[in-house]
Amino acid sequence: MTEPTNEPANSIEQARPKRTKLWVALALVLVLAAGGGVYWALRPSADEDKTASDKVEGASGPVTGGTFKFGVFMSHSTPDPQAGGGYTDAIIGNNVTDKLTWQDPDSGEITPWLAESWEFNEDITEYTFKLRQDVTFSDGTPFNAEVVKANFDQYVLGDPALDIDPNGAPYFPGYLGTEVVDEFTVKVSFDRPSAGFLQGSSFTANYQPGFLALATLAKSAEERTDPKNVIGTGPFVYEEWIENVRTVVVKRPDYNWAPPALERQGAAYLDKIVFNILPEGSVRTGALRSGEVDAILDVTTTDEGPLAADGFEIVARQASGSTYYLNLFPGAFPTDDINVRRAIQLGWNRESLRKTALSDSYTDGTSAVGDTVNGWVDYSGDGPLRYDPEEAKRLLEESGWEEGPDGIRVKDGQRLEIKHFGVQNVVPVKAALESIQLDLADIGIDFQINVLAGPDFSAAMQKGASEYNALSLNRSRNDIAVLNTLYNPTIDNGAYIDQGFEGHDDLVASLSKLEQTLDPAERTKYAKAAQDLLIEEYALVVALFNPSQVIAQAPYVHDILFDAQARNHFRNTWLETR
Amino acid sequence: MPKAESSVFARWRASGARLIQRHPVARYLTLKVGRAVFVIWATFTATFVLLYVFPADPVDLLVDPAAVGQVRGELREQLAATYGFDKPPLEQYLDRLGHALTGDFGNSVTSGKPVGHAIAETLPHTLVLAALALGAALLIAFALAVGATATRRPWLRNFLTSLPSAAVSIPSFMVAILLLQVFAFTFGWFPAFGDQGWRTMVLPVATLALPVSGPIAQLLIRSFEAELGASYIATSRAKGATRTRILTGDVFRNASLPALTIAGIVFGNLIAGSVITETVFSRQGVGRLTQTAISSLDVPLVQGVVVLVAAAFAAINLAVDLLYPLLDPRIRVSLAQGSAPAGASA
Repeated sequence: MTEPTNEPANSIEQARPKRTKLWVALALVLVLAAGGGVYWALRPSADEDKTASDKVEGASGPVTGGTFKFGVFMSHSTPDPQAGGGYTDAIIGNNVTDKLTWQDPDSGEITPWLAESWEFNEDITEYTFKLRQDVTFSDGTPFNAEVVKANFDQYVLGDPALDIDPNGAPYFPGYLGTEVVDEFTVKVSFDRPSAGFLQGSSFTANYQPGFLALATLAKSAEERTDPKNVIGTGPFVYEEWIENVRTVVVKRPDYNWAPPALERQGAAYLDKIVFNILPEGSVRTGALRSGEVDAILDVTTTDEGPLAADGFEIVARQASGSTYYLNLFPGAFPTDDINVRRAIQLGWNRESLRKTALSDSYTDGTSAVGDTVNGWVDYSGDGPLRYDPEEAKRLLEESGWEEGPDGIRVKDGQRLEIKHFGVQNVVPVKAALESIQLDLADIGIDFQINVLAGPDFSAAMQKGASEYNALSLNRSRNDIAVLNTLYNPTIDNGAYIDQGFEGHDDLVASLSKLEQTLDPAERTKYAKAAQDLLIEEYALVVALFNPSQVIAQAPYVHDILFDAQARNHFRNTWLETR
Repeated sequence: MPKAESSVFARWRASGARLIQRHPVARYLTLKVGRAVFVIWATFTATFVLLYVFPADPVDLLVDPAAVGQVRGELREQLAATYGFDKPPLEQYLDRLGHALTGDFGNSVTSGKPVGHAIAETLPHTLVLAALALGAALLIAFALAVGATATRRPWLRNFLTSLPSAAVSIPSFMVAILLLQVFAFTFGWFPAFGDQGWRTMVLPVATLALPVSGPIAQLLIRSFEAELGASYIATSRAKGATRTRILTGDVFRNASLPALTIAGIVFGNLIAGSVITETVFSRQGVGRLTQTAISSLDVPLVQGVVVLVAAAFAAINLAVDLLYPLLDPRIRVSLAQGSAPAGASA
């Protein structure tokens, strides 16, 4: 390309003028394209000058008005909260839609919301809800029995003609249908005892049953990507949804049907909330420090301390539901040996894990469910979830696992290898697994960590016990029936239990009972029985830690509510006048 | 009748072949356009095949991984039918190819938005960012090359010629974080994210321009040096031209030509850089769209974006191939003589 030019001079001379023209033309095109594009990108947004905060003065106590800027990690995948599978989807869904019931975050009790009262039949296959009569959607249409039926039917069954997936099917298993009894009474029926549905009717996490107006239900998935088409009864109304960038919601002034269990009724204090999607952790932290956002979610564990030291407030709540678990598969070698499973429960130090992977916002795993779920039983202390490396070694030796040349135990020529798989869905996962890996190596177990990306994780879920021995994950759902969903071999089968496993029938019977009663005393009894089997009797579950959702907020931000699943509600949130 | 038809066809084909054979320019055009079309088709097919040899069942990717176990039986069939995953692969392929030819890549799985709309909405943002970054990169590259060539101090020349490789080897991600730390979080001169106002463009453009300027500067420095050593420069010098006159009048022009050949590399850098830049600065754009589509394996969206990028690559290479004979008389001469245009595809 750079060889010296030895063409006749006149050919170069001829080429020159043309070349100049071409360059000029190219430059012109570039300039025009850039100019047009710049105009397009910088065109003023309709309400740009309104974003300046116009807060009402107030000496003390809550202040009305203002725009709250919130930085979050995950994208808001769609304005339709019934179809959103991420954390951000759930939070925004909770502020634009309401649910039938409200679960008290502290007591776990299910209390009225859009349903004033309810009753259920003897075998808990039918629920009858009496609805509030003063609730309207933001398009002015009433909330009534017909709306509940239309929502639940589409939520569970989907609508192929509108490209709506059956998003709620995994959450309302056995749903038969909803009957309109009268204008404000519905009866929801199931083909099996469904005690967990009562909590399900309050569900605030992924793919939540938040009510949408009939006009929205008639829209296709594509039409619902226009946020103005997604109409709820919630305290905020969609204003803007820019995929992967931000979502803006504004206050609904006539909102007056908050859960009665919450002290304050009425509309939101804030005029507007801007959810900024900031995927990079250091950008979230930096944006909070520089005042570009008022609060951030998904604070990295290492940033919590420095932010707190600089006057930012760290607020957190356990994402109630299962613990962050490590399930051991009894259908795979070498975890088919109960002594190996017990040794993995005993062989690692919770204190090291806490020091290396967690902040004060997280708590130790002490059972198959977190300690905020009613029915939780503590297996730490002197229980099977203690740190006892000597006992772990004894159990391994009892089973014939002898120390091998590289420190990893061997039996009949096979190394004691545990092949794990999991996904990075909450901040401390990898560090926690690495801490366990170190401790288990000390007692002669080679714990192999495989934290997989989304699609590979889905594939691994299908392979399960044919390729792996252990799965780490969690499930936010603040009801003891979450154990049935997670571990029942006829449902999710999170420990990959096959028909041949000695505890198969025992587990099916015990876990199913969690769906068969709503009597608190009975449920507590069945809850203990189920946890006893999972942790003690069959040693299928190792509790790593209890996952939390952590917010860092500027000192002038007040009253961000964490609900029973640790998702946020902003109706009571207010900003101090600065 | 069929015989007559086939003979018409044969005659048509034969005349086409003659045209291509007799007219080297026609042959050149057919070859280059054909190659561009082939690249786009091959990309589409490759992405389709990859989705089928992919470890996961496409239906599993539609649901919460934790709840995959509950998606079975009728529910699974319903989901498969909604997205057409229940049909035989060849039928799905032809169906999707047919739709793709009309620009329809289906709907995004996560948002339900048509892939075409999702791309059309974000593309202008990326084009603006990329155009500004390219402009900035060209300025940086030319400044470096001119500086390195014009200076008579060896240490300064060494320093300047080492800068492009540094620009290429520092990851964009680190550049972005560094710029943010200094100019957004410490001094507060520019916002860390957002898309309103020119100030939000400064840091992303700088982040994207840096790695793009590297290869351009490297190439320019090399060809400036080569051209400076060429005999026509000696002639110019002998005629009494100043160093500046030689640089701007002779070297600049002749050395710019090879820069066209790395248009493809530059475009690739811009695309790769935009993924990181748009993600870190939380900007709307095709790069960010790609990042989320891949991380959630939004199959139709991934396919749409990949084909778009392939089409843009093919178009750029085609444009370079077609422009080159116009710019370089040597190739024009060889085309006119009917021999292979050797320099064009280098």
